[in-house]
Amino acid sequence: MALEAPAILVALEQSALGTAIRQSVWIYPAANTVHILGLTLLAASVAVMDLRLLGAFKETVPAAVIVPARRLAMLALTIMVLTGLVLFTAEATHVAMNPVFQIKMGLIGLAILNALVVQRTLPAVLIKSPAMTPLPTRFRIAAAISLAIWFCVAAAGRLIAYF
Amino acid sequence: MLRRIGVAAAFLLAALLPASAHHGWGSYDAGKMVTVEGKIVTTRYENPHVTLTVEAQDKTWTLTLAPVSRMRNRGATEELVAPGKVITAVGYVSTRDPDELRAERITVDGKTIEMR
Repeated sequence: MALEAPAILVALEQSALGTAIRQSVWIYPAANTVHILGLTLLAASVAVMDLRLLGAFKETVPAAVIVPARRLAMLALTIMVLTGLVLFTAEATHVAMNPVFQIKMGLIGLAILNALVVQRTLPAVLIKSPAMTPLPTRFRIAAAISLAIWFCVAAAGRLIAYF
Repeated sequence: MLRRIGVAAAFLLAALLPASAHHGWGSYDAGKMVTVEGKIVTTRYENPHVTLTVEAQDKTWTLTLAPVSRMRNRGATEELVAPGKVITAVGYVSTRDPDELRAERITVDGKTIEMR
């Protein structure tokens, strides 16, 4: 049998909010659906951002693609976190002890860390990066890592139900 | 560059799709249909899945049914699966919890309702 979940998660799941989410006919399916809509938006904006860093759409000025795509990615991530919290609250103890969920959270942490590291030096580089010119290798590596991690996050999210 | 990434992504997607084609039977023993019959002891008419505990002859089972909206749409109301009712459920046993049955269909009050 699974290990017991921390008391705080038991409390969260059994809270009035947790019960309300489970007992509502529409809250859970709505949160589930918007979570996936957020995923499509996140995947799309991350793909555009990372592919541009990698050298795709090279006729465009990098900043003109990357800056708005990044903003969209952050909006999408916010949507996913909010709806994800609703889904999590309904089944906090089960979900938290799920190994695939734990992997997913770890991967999200890595992806955000990667994005934060990139963001420390990228803006200064973008200001003087014209079209048709490859970006520094370290950004291309970071973009490939980002794409790979977000792909795995999406896969892990889908697989929580099977483990 | 873009084409190579596209091909790689397509392969990855193709590899993942069979697993997520529908809410699968991964953690249930789909090779063996099991019938559970008994009295409903507790009813949790909640999302993501309605769950019942049922006192059968052999043991107390946890039955996992459908989401609330589907239950209602098919006439499996909270009243129909209320504690005290006698239920017959056919489904698959969890490979992790030998006391959990994922019902494919249930019969209560002479009404048979599909859960999938």
